[in-house]
Amino acid sequence: MSLLEVKGISKRFGGLKAINDVSFAVKPGEVTFIVGPNGAGKTTLFNLITGVFHPDSGSIHFAGRDISHLTPNEAAQIGIGRTFQIVKPLRNLTVLENVMLGAFLRTSSRAKAEQEATKVLRFLEMEKIMHLPARGMGLPVLKRLEIARALATQPKLILLDEVVAGLPTSEAIKLAMLLKRLPEWGISTIGGIEHVMQVVMRVADRVIVLDHGTLIAEGEPKDVVHRPEVIEAYLGSKYKEIAL
Amino acid sequence: MKNWQALVAAVFLFAALFVPLLVPTDYILQILFRVFLFAALGLAWNLVGGYAGQLSLGHAAYFGVGAYGLALFSKLGISPWISVFFGIVLAVICAAMIGTISFRLRGPYFALCTIAFAEVLRLVAKNLPNVTGGDVGAQVPALFTHSATRSFYWAGVLLTAFAFALTAWIERSRFGYYLMAIREDQDTALSVGVNAARCKLWALLISAAITGFGGALYASMFLFIVPDQVLAMDISTEIAIVAMLGGAGTLLGPLLGSVILESSAEIFKTVFKEAHLLIYGVLIVVVVLFMPEGVVGTLTSKLGRFKKAPLAPFAAPAPVAAQEETSRAALNE
Repeated sequence: MSLLEVKGISKRFGGLKAINDVSFAVKPGEVTFIVGPNGAGKTTLFNLITGVFHPDSGSIHFAGRDISHLTPNEAAQIGIGRTFQIVKPLRNLTVLENVMLGAFLRTSSRAKAEQEATKVLRFLEMEKIMHLPARGMGLPVLKRLEIARALATQPKLILLDEVVAGLPTSEAIKLAMLLKRLPEWGISTIGGIEHVMQVVMRVADRVIVLDHGTLIAEGEPKDVVHRPEVIEAYLGSKYKEIAL
Repeated sequence: MKNWQALVAAVFLFAALFVPLLVPTDYILQILFRVFLFAALGLAWNLVGGYAGQLSLGHAAYFGVGAYGLALFSKLGISPWISVFFGIVLAVICAAMIGTISFRLRGPYFALCTIAFAEVLRLVAKNLPNVTGGDVGAQVPALFTHSATRSFYWAGVLLTAFAFALTAWIERSRFGYYLMAIREDQDTALSVGVNAARCKLWALLISAAITGFGGALYASMFLFIVPDQVLAMDISTEIAIVAMLGGAGTLLGPLLGSVILESSAEIFKTVFKEAHLLIYGVLIVVVVLFMPEGVVGTLTSKLGRFKKAPLAPFAAPAPVAAQEETSRAALNE
């Protein structure tokens, strides 16, 4: 039984086919990474799953329900959390209050929201900075803050767009080790990543490779990186033969 | 950090209770009525323009509808206070219609749309002489017959206290968090399940109700209104400037903004005579240039800067580092 099932979806923007007949499924508790060069359609795919855009054809099912035409806030309500590539915290609020914003989805009580937010912040090892204002925090903190806010909505599936982009490698790997523990919480993860393969190799159960909106490879991380079509997408056809 | 703002406002409102005892002149009380009226209007505007970040430049619409509501319903023979209530209901209905349409737009387009609606209402009021009296104006019944100036002063203080308490409560509630999230980034707000359209509309409805009541008070104080007075762009901008000068999106901002703007307007009028508008303009320019977040907003961010983030923000446990070494070794092979 799949948690998320994407069946043959396509999305056009004018003459550009951003997503072209993509199908895949995510099982509960699985960590899937979508990799692909800049412009491959990763963010578009995330936007389709979270209802920002609606597919021109094909369908998306979540927990057995057709979600192809949901709005973004409805997607959050049924348990799809997401983070954005560009971090946008509420700068005047503290780190804790930022995360409470997510927790308010499941409760209107301040105390309960605070409790849930604290739990998430502990998990992400951010309790030291909980009561400081979000303004002036560096990118590593803000990236984790994005994840914390999404986790506080208690999702069943979380989509992390370019989750380690711009982070120093040591911090990227630290964060990846934390993400690896998300299945303990019963949360499936779909990460989108351009090229930080160290993270993908460590965390992903499964990798999906997109290129120009088309799914070109799918499978376990260590198999996928050796496929000629993947190498071609990243390095150009010249390198395909060298790799083989 | 927010508590000091509530404290200052509480002290201020408490002090307001003794003013009629100390300064018995009607002139001072009239000015203070205006200060409190615009503080309340600024607080109401602040919910939409400050917390939710939707720059409304058409709040004269709700102000004017509240004012005309009182005038027109009482002309039908309904008692003044019930007419005030009907006026508020009418302002809220207007807000529902204006909000539903204009909230589809974002940023400057939203602001333009709100101006347009207020202007349409002003022109309608001007051109329906049979209903509104047109440019000739409409008579407004007195809400207070006994010691009127003093009573209006109290009504202004009460309305401000109410608007302030409501804002303080909203600021700490889920609704307040949602409004701030919409202001910072609507897409992020949607991603945590916020129904942005509904939240913005609720904020506008609450805001319109208070603004409509303020309009009725103002109208009743003058006993006579014309469209170019209560539905004018001047009212819209004055409400917005009061809140922005003090600090949009802060609890204390509109109150402080009204004290600064309304009292200085009056002082400049007596001190500088004909040049008062010039000085008034310079004051606004100075605040906008040097305190772009408003007086309260700039103060709080200056104070907040003293709190620095620690150099090592995360409490990294040992096992992760150990794991990292082994996995890095595995990768290098």
